[in-house]
Amino acid sequence: MLEVLFIGLSLGSILLLVALGLAITYGAMGVINMAHGEMVMVGAYVTVLSGIWLGTNIFVAIPLAFIVTALLGLLIERVVVRRLYGRLLDTLLATWGIAILIQQAVRLEFGLTFLGIHIQGLGPGLQNVAVPPFLQGTFSILGADINRYRTFIILVTAFLALMTWFIIYRTAIGTQVRAIIRNPKMAAACGIDVTRVNALTFAFGSGLAGVAGVMMSGFKTVFPDMGTSMVVDGFLVVVMGGVGSLLGSVLSAGILGEINGLVAAATNDILARAVVFGVVIAIIVLKPKGLFALKGR
Amino acid sequence: MPMKRRIDWAIYAAFVVLVMFLPLVMDAFWLNRVAKYLVFGMLGTAVALSWGYAGILNLGQGLFFGAGAYMLAMSLKLASTTSLQQGSDKPVPDFMLWNAEPGAPTELCCINKASFLWLPFQSQWFGVAMGLILPVVLATILGTIVFRKRISGVFVSIITLALVLLVRLVVIDSQPVTNGFNGLTDLGWFNIAGLEFDPYIVPTYYLVAVSLSLVLVGARLLIDTRAGLILQAVRDDQNRARYLGFDVPAYQTFFFAVSAAIAGFAGMLYVIVSEFASPTFMDLTFSITMVVWAAVGGRSSILGACIGAILINTISATVSETEGFAEAWKAIIGLIFVLVVLYLPRGLAGLAHDFIDRLLARKPAASPQPLRVSDASSQLAE
Amino acid sequence: MAQAALTIDGLSVDFAGFKAVNGVTMTVDDGELRVLLGANGAGKTTLMDLISGKTKSTDGRVYLHDTDITNWEEHKIARAGIGRKFQIPSVFKELTVRRNLEVASCRKPGVFANLRFGFGAEAERNVDEVLELIGLTEEQDRIAAYLSHGQTQWLELGLLITQNPKIILLDEPTAGMTQAETHKTSEIVNNLKGRHTIIVVEHDMAFVREIAERITVLHLGQVLAEGNVEQIENNPKVREAYLGSKGIS
Repeated sequence: MLEVLFIGLSLGSILLLVALGLAITYGAMGVINMAHGEMVMVGAYVTVLSGIWLGTNIFVAIPLAFIVTALLGLLIERVVVRRLYGRLLDTLLATWGIAILIQQAVRLEFGLTFLGIHIQGLGPGLQNVAVPPFLQGTFSILGADINRYRTFIILVTAFLALMTWFIIYRTAIGTQVRAIIRNPKMAAACGIDVTRVNALTFAFGSGLAGVAGVMMSGFKTVFPDMGTSMVVDGFLVVVMGGVGSLLGSVLSAGILGEINGLVAAATNDILARAVVFGVVIAIIVLKPKGLFALKGR
Repeated sequence: MPMKRRIDWAIYAAFVVLVMFLPLVMDAFWLNRVAKYLVFGMLGTAVALSWGYAGILNLGQGLFFGAGAYMLAMSLKLASTTSLQQGSDKPVPDFMLWNAEPGAPTELCCINKASFLWLPFQSQWFGVAMGLILPVVLATILGTIVFRKRISGVFVSIITLALVLLVRLVVIDSQPVTNGFNGLTDLGWFNIAGLEFDPYIVPTYYLVAVSLSLVLVGARLLIDTRAGLILQAVRDDQNRARYLGFDVPAYQTFFFAVSAAIAGFAGMLYVIVSEFASPTFMDLTFSITMVVWAAVGGRSSILGACIGAILINTISATVSETEGFAEAWKAIIGLIFVLVVLYLPRGLAGLAHDFIDRLLARKPAASPQPLRVSDASSQLAE
Repeated sequence: MAQAALTIDGLSVDFAGFKAVNGVTMTVDDGELRVLLGANGAGKTTLMDLISGKTKSTDGRVYLHDTDITNWEEHKIARAGIGRKFQIPSVFKELTVRRNLEVASCRKPGVFANLRFGFGAEAERNVDEVLELIGLTEEQDRIAAYLSHGQTQWLELGLLITQNPKIILLDEPTAGMTQAETHKTSEIVNNLKGRHTIIVVEHDMAFVREIAERITVLHLGQVLAEGNVEQIENNPKVREAYLGSKGIS
C-alpha cells in the first residue's frame, strides 16, 4: 500500500512539475501556452545534448535548461504572445502553432538535415539519458521499496514549488505579478511596468518547464513529441486547482496523482488516466472556477 | 446587403460545380485522396459552425467524428470478408476470435461479455443511424449540462478536450469490442441497394461530394434562419440575449449538436473512403488540427473553413510527395497558423470578404457604405 | 387609482451576512415612470438584479401584475414582460444595428420555433420605427462595435423598445454621456412614458428633472422616502442621507 501511495505521490509531483509553469503563465497572465509541453521537451533535450557534448550530468543540466527555456519563453512572449493578451483562446491557437514549430525544429535539427548535417542528440529518434548512479535503484522504508530517482523528483518539485511560492508571495516582483493577476489595468495605473513583468513571468514559467524537462529525461525516453500530452495534463491540474491559485495546483496535482496511482494499481494505466480525465471533467462542471478559486475579479 | 448575399451564394455554387467536375480530370488514386479532403472540409464546416457562429471552441470535435466513424465501421466490419461466417446471420469479427477466451462460443452474442452490443450492427442502416444519433445524443447531454451551468469560453474547450481523450482511452481499453489501439480495419464496402462503394470508384467520390454540398448549403441556410441570427447574438453577448428572453442554453446546445452531427456524418464518410476506424481519430492532435483548418479558412465562414481544410490537406499531400519535405511542411503549417492568428483572424474568408466589399464599393449606387470589419473582429476575436 | 404593474413586497437579499437589499416594499403603477435614487451602495442596482432575476432573493416576493415572478430564470422573467438595460451598455457587437433590433423583435424564446427565414413585414416596420425613434436610421447597416458610446446606449434602449416589455428597467442610461447625448436620451425616455412602465436608476440630476414623476430613495438597502421631485428635495431625511444641504442641484 505504501508503495502505491508513493507512486501516486510521484505521479502527482510529475504533474505538478509541468503544471507549475502553467499555473504561472495561465494564472498570472491569462495565456494558454500550448507550447509549454515543448518547453519541457527542450529542457529534456538540453540534458541529452549537455550529456553528449559537455559530458555533464543532470545537475548541470538543470540551470542550463532553465536558462535556455527561459530565453526561449522570452522570445515567444516578445514576438507572439504579447500581441494576444486578452484573447485567451487565440493564445491557445497561436502557441499550438509555436509548439509544432519547436517540435519540427528539433526533429529537423534546426533545418540542418536538409544540408546533410546531423547533430548527435537531435533528430526524430529516441534519446535516453543516464542518471547518476546514486540516483539509481531503490531504498527501503517500512518494508516498501522506494525508487531513488522518483524520490529525487519529489524533492526537486517540492523545492521548485516552494521557490515559486516565495517569489510570488514574498518578493517585490511577486507582488507586482499578483497585482497583475487581480487587475492588469489597475496595476499599470499604479506604475507597474506590466509588459516587463509579463515578459519576465512568462520566461520564468517557461524556465520551470525546462527544469521539468530535465527531470523527465531521467526516467522517460526523450523524443520530439513528448510534450504534447504533458501540456494537457498540466492544464487539467491548473484548471481543476483554480486558475491563479498556486496551492490549488499543488493540491490538485497531488489528488490526481494519487487517483492515478490507486486506479492503476487496481486496474491498469489506461483506465487510470481515463478516470483522471473523468474526475477533472466532473470538477470543472461542478465547480468551473476550480477547487480553490481566487476570489474577486 | 442582398448583393453581397447573391455573391456569397454564387461562390457556393462555383465551389459545388468545381467539386462535381473533378472526376473528369483526376485518376482514381487522387480522387480517393480528394474525397478524404472533402470529408475534412466537412469537419472544417462543423468547427466553423460551433466556433465561429456559436462561440464554442470545441477542442474535442474528434469525439463526434470518431463516434460516427466507429458506428458505421462496426457495421462494415460485420460485412467484411475477414469476419467469420460473413454473409450469414451470425458474423463474428476476426479480432474477437483472436482475443476470445478459450472455450468461448464463437457467436456474436456471447463471444465476450460486451460483444452483444454489436448485434444490431448487422444492419448497415443501423450503423448509419447510430453514426448520427450517437454524436447528437452525446452533444446534447454534454451541451445541456455545460451550457445550463453557464460554463463558457476556455472551460468548455478544456472539458471537450478532456472528454475526447477520456473516450479515446476507454475505446483503447475496451480491446474485446473495439480492437483497442488497432481500431477496426479490413472493412467491407458500404452498400446502397446493391451498389458497392469501393473507395476508388467515381460513385464513392460523388457520395462524398454530394454529401458535402448538402451539408454546406444546409449549414449556410441554418445560420440564415432567425435561430441562426439569435445564435450569433448569443455568441456576442449571452446576457443581453438572456434578458431579451431567449433560452440561451437551448440555442448553444442545438447548434453544438448540429455541429456534432456534421462531424459524425464526416466520420462515416471517412470510413467509407478510407476503410478503417481508429482511436487516432480521437487524438488531441487531430481535434486541434481541425481547428487549424477552420482558422486558416475562416472561423466564421461555413465555406471558408471547409476550403481551408481542403486546401491545407491538398497542399500537404502534394508537398509530401517530395522526399523529406513532409516534416518541413509541418513546420510551415505551424508558422502559417501563428501568422493567421496574429494577422488574419478571419482567415482566408476574411480576405475574400474584404475583397468583395472593395469591389462593391467601386459601384457607389450598389449598396450603402460597405464596412471594413477587420479591425473590429480582431479585437473581438476572443 | 391605476393598476399596479410591479409590486415588490419585503424583498431582501443576504450576501453572506450583508443585506444589500433589506425588506424593500414598493408599488409601481401601470405606465408610471419611477426613478430610483440613492448613494453608491444603497442597493439600487441590486434591486434591479433581483427584479430581473440576475440575483436570487433570499426573502420577499416580486409580482408582475398578478404573476409571482420571484426568482424565476432570467429569460422567463424577460418573457413575462420585464426588459432591462445594463449599466455597461451591452449590444450584439458583431451584428449590424438593424440585425440587433431584428433579434430583439423575435417573440419566440426557443430554437425550434425560430427555424425559419425572415422576421415578417410587421416586425421590419416596427424595427424601422424604433430606428427612427433612437435616431439610428442612418447607421442601421453599421456593425454595432463601431457605434459611439452614446449610440451604443441608444441601440440598447432600442433593443428594449423593440422587445416591447411591460416594464423597462434602466440602469444609469446616461452614464458617460455628453450633455447633448443626455438630452437626447431623455427625449427617448419621455417618448416611452405612458406606453411602458419604466424604472430608472440615475445619478444625473438634470436628467432626473427632465424625466421624473415619482422618485423612490433607497438608503442602505431600505426605502428611505418616496414622492415627487419637490417632496424628495424637501425631505430632511433625504437631504441628510444623500442630497446634502443644497438639495437637487
